[in-house]
Amino acid sequence: MEDAELARAIARSAPALDPAAEAEFCRRFAPRVRLYGLRHLRDRHAAADLVQQVLMMTLERLRAGKLREPERLASFVLGTCRRVVLEHFRGTARRGALLEMYGIEDEALEDAEPRVFERERLAACLEALSERERAVVIGSFFEESISEPGLSAGNVRVIRHRALGKLRVCMERA
Amino acid sequence: MSAEFATLVDYWFGDLPREQEAAFEEHLFGCDECTTKLAELVALGGAVRAAWREGAVRAVISRALFEAMKKADLRLHEYSMGPGGRVNCTITASDDFVVSRLSAPLADVRRVDLVTDAGRFEDVPFDAAAGEVLMCPAPGALKRSGKFTLHVRLLAVDDAGERALGDYTFEHSPS
Repeated sequence: MEDAELARAIARSAPALDPAAEAEFCRRFAPRVRLYGLRHLRDRHAAADLVQQVLMMTLERLRAGKLREPERLASFVLGTCRRVVLEHFRGTARRGALLEMYGIEDEALEDAEPRVFERERLAACLEALSERERAVVIGSFFEESISEPGLSAGNVRVIRHRALGKLRVCMERA
Repeated sequence: MSAEFATLVDYWFGDLPREQEAAFEEHLFGCDECTTKLAELVALGGAVRAAWREGAVRAVISRALFEAMKKADLRLHEYSMGPGGRVNCTITASDDFVVSRLSAPLADVRRVDLVTDAGRFEDVPFDAAAGEVLMCPAPGALKRSGKFTLHVRLLAVDDAGERALGDYTFEHSPS
């Protein structure tokens, strides 16, 4: 089902709910909102809160038939993410009332099955990197803003690309 | 059309220019394939972080990572040594990491190689200003090790060749 069709299905059934359409909406957008939240908030719990809040706000809008351009559903969800994250940084995030009114089943928001990496294989692939590459990869994922002495930000970026490319290929070979 | 892996990496680490980032997010919110690829990159990052925290990986680390590990409340057992130094060392069950801080005259050094009994590790990270190389063996393997002696030599390498910066000896005993 296209985004626009999904948005219209949810709006059409109001004030009743269309559980199938709403579940599909959550399945489709929860991972995107979660990744957006992880990227901008760098915190799993805050990202999970963002998913709840953004999906609820969007559903509220859809159920009320207030989304003017259903074909732009994805843009609307992204815009809502941006607004909520801005509010989060301003410390004025609203949440409680919407959670009470439109509580979404947690299982609808659970992460897709996370990919499991075999630890010994990953350790071997990390060992196969050069010393600089390994340091940059570990540093980057341990704390994203980390700097490497003697390397410019541009150099770190180049090393990171190369290292992650090698790591991905090495893990796929397993 | 699906985004290149490099774009996903740049997006994740905040390396895209602002306008490009905004455009990429518009694309991401409408693209299942990119969402899946980005989720895989994030999962790989989580696995790297877990492998590091669980002591499965060794590395020569930067001071920035060293400080970040301290801030993250990891228990670090530190040994500091100058050239010609020898230290009796161990790792206890409660240590998350052992960090060996090898000081050396690193001003004007362009590349440092680290040579141990196990092999030569080229172009390791070093902090020229602090005059330090921070060596972090894999804690998992170290905790399983018996008694051993490890010899380490730091070499400065440039177009003219190489010169020793210092020798360091670790006398490891299980705790």
